[in-house]
Amino acid sequence: MTDTVLQARSLRKHFTTARPLFKAPTVVRAVDGVDLDIRRGETFSIVGESGCGKSTLARLLLRLLDPTEGSVIYDGQDIAPLPDKEMRKLRRDLQFVFQDPFSSLNPRMTVAGLIEEPMRAHGIGNRAERREEARRLLSKVGLRPEFADRYPHEFSGGQRQRIGIARALATRPKVLIGDEPVSALDVSVQAQVINLLEDLKDEFSLSLVIIAHDLAVVRHISDRVGVMYLGELVETGPTETFFAAPLHPYSRALLAAIPAPDPQLRGTAPPALSGDIPSPSAPPSGCRFHTRCIHADAKCAAERPELRDAGDGRQVACHHFETLPASPGIATPPPRAEHVERRFALYRDRSGAGAARPDPQEEAQKTGHETQPNQEV
Amino acid sequence: MPDEAPLLSVQALSIRIGSGASNLVDDVSLEVAAGETLCVVGESGCGKSLTALALMGLLPTPPVNVAAGEIHFDGQDLLTLSNEQMSELRGDRLAMIFQEPMTALNPAFPIGEQIAEAVRRHRSVTRTEARQKALEMLKKVGIPAAETRLDAYLHQLSGGMRQRVMIAMALANDPSVLIADEPTTALDVTIQAQVLQLVRDLQRENGTAMILITHDLGVVAEVADKVAVMYAGRVVESGPVRALFEDPQHPYTIGLIGSLPGIGARVAGGRLVTISGLVPTPEAMPTGCRFAERCPFAAPICAEAPPLREIDTGHTVACHFAPLEDTVSEKVAS
Repeated sequence: MTDTVLQARSLRKHFTTARPLFKAPTVVRAVDGVDLDIRRGETFSIVGESGCGKSTLARLLLRLLDPTEGSVIYDGQDIAPLPDKEMRKLRRDLQFVFQDPFSSLNPRMTVAGLIEEPMRAHGIGNRAERREEARRLLSKVGLRPEFADRYPHEFSGGQRQRIGIARALATRPKVLIGDEPVSALDVSVQAQVINLLEDLKDEFSLSLVIIAHDLAVVRHISDRVGVMYLGELVETGPTETFFAAPLHPYSRALLAAIPAPDPQLRGTAPPALSGDIPSPSAPPSGCRFHTRCIHADAKCAAERPELRDAGDGRQVACHHFETLPASPGIATPPPRAEHVERRFALYRDRSGAGAARPDPQEEAQKTGHETQPNQEV
Repeated sequence: MPDEAPLLSVQALSIRIGSGASNLVDDVSLEVAAGETLCVVGESGCGKSLTALALMGLLPTPPVNVAAGEIHFDGQDLLTLSNEQMSELRGDRLAMIFQEPMTALNPAFPIGEQIAEAVRRHRSVTRTEARQKALEMLKKVGIPAAETRLDAYLHQLSGGMRQRVMIAMALANDPSVLIADEPTTALDVTIQAQVLQLVRDLQRENGTAMILITHDLGVVAEVADKVAVMYAGRVVESGPVRALFEDPQHPYTIGLIGSLPGIGARVAGGRLVTISGLVPTPEAMPTGCRFAERCPFAAPICAEAPPLREIDTGHTVACHFAPLEDTVSEKVAS
């Protein structure tokens, strides 16, 4: 399969907690048997609530964590058993963008140093070339090349995230994995970074894997989506069909819980999922969702459903998905009034032409404050 | 609700740090009536949390202090009350829930005891009665097996449950006004939906006025009656929730709504609207319209601070050019 760039096969990661006095240690099954194919050039998003194992899965895919069991296949090669030295070479192709732009950049390194470091580690170019490339990458991510000699603390959260992205791109990776890359950012800045990721993906022909809990963001950027619950993948499918009619009862509950960004849709969503997510150290038997599922029966408590084909490129792990009542999906907000639509269009046109305007941050720079990108990428 | 007298009203409130260069909260006026929910929306640093703290008399003074303004509640100006008088009101008629329950509740005491303490602080009841009330509140906020949970500690509860405990404590004395600062931000969507539903039900039951501080427009759309959008310390637009979403007037509001990845249908190749740049720092605060340097419509007149003016019933906006589609092409294009 040449169109698959990264595959997971029966991937498991169990963490063992420190042994409490007089008790057996607890085993947390963070990722428990995941099969996944990431296609070349696509954006695949993994969604789920806290504790579902999505971040662990992301780290396993790049082997930032060693799996307990199973394999990760990159370009036809199983990377799980590779010796560290071999793995280090492969890291050039597989890069990671972290959630927290404040703790993931070394505060003592300049921006140029941060971006050049991965190139140096992989022996790419000479000093002058690396320096040139760092400046080029900075402008690619919408920061000014002159920022190269500054330190991370001089930048805002959104700008640091751009630096993190520039650093991840430095080795010309084939796959970029982002663990909640925009969730620490304010809405308006988030939009800038999302647009940036989409542009860079095309330009660098990347395959993107995005870990996120914000389903609106996911819908906007992904080609395909995978939903995780308690360490298992319960549904995967193309973004549009998934959002139009989610199959798994958990996916449905997850989508129903998103507050619709329109007051007219208030109260149209079905009642929320009750209860909390069970502990991954003592997952329920059978289907792990059966304790919270309104459609669960005896079979669900006894047998673990396999992820199976549901047509249209979709897969779902539910015994009963064929017989469930049709899902309403997400209500679409009514269109805006014509004059308001014009107002939005005006805003879009004007802010699109924003790069031509004089840089509003020039002033701030003179007084020594934070500066920011003068162009929208 | 034009006929109904506001229960709490903030008038021309300004807050600054020591002798800072500019007001962190500048000339902010808000009103909320009984049973009504006012959402205050804005990004980090817009002054929304400072406003909430000022309402509760919880500003860290010094260095932060109220420079001007009045807060009317129950026939008195809260800003003139002594600390003792304020602490009588806090937790009784005025209550607050915070984003992070771990910092608002004491990890060293059982949760039942903490709720009972809040009741005993303001009501002359016996220990047993207070404990009974705590139990009743825990049941009300939907904590399963409430009897056994009375003696549980915070670390034994999940995030959503901790948030419920904090809500139980805030509502234990039937407050007239509830101030909620990002109450669901730290929660997963499914838990967020539960907590919002809970707050809404309890509010309906008791006629509590609620001021909800959030950056999440989805939450606003879900619960607000009225909205005030804050930017860099000022209210730039306010009005009924439908007006704000269906007829946003201020360029900042338009940018905010436009940068939401629409949960509706995806436009093919549709890019998100963005707001370029960042919020100005207090040291470099523009004297005119504070949004001007990020605004795609900015013009020389924006060096003058635009007053909040009513553009429709109850819908006010602080922009020289609203409504944009009528004014912009001729005024700015030159």
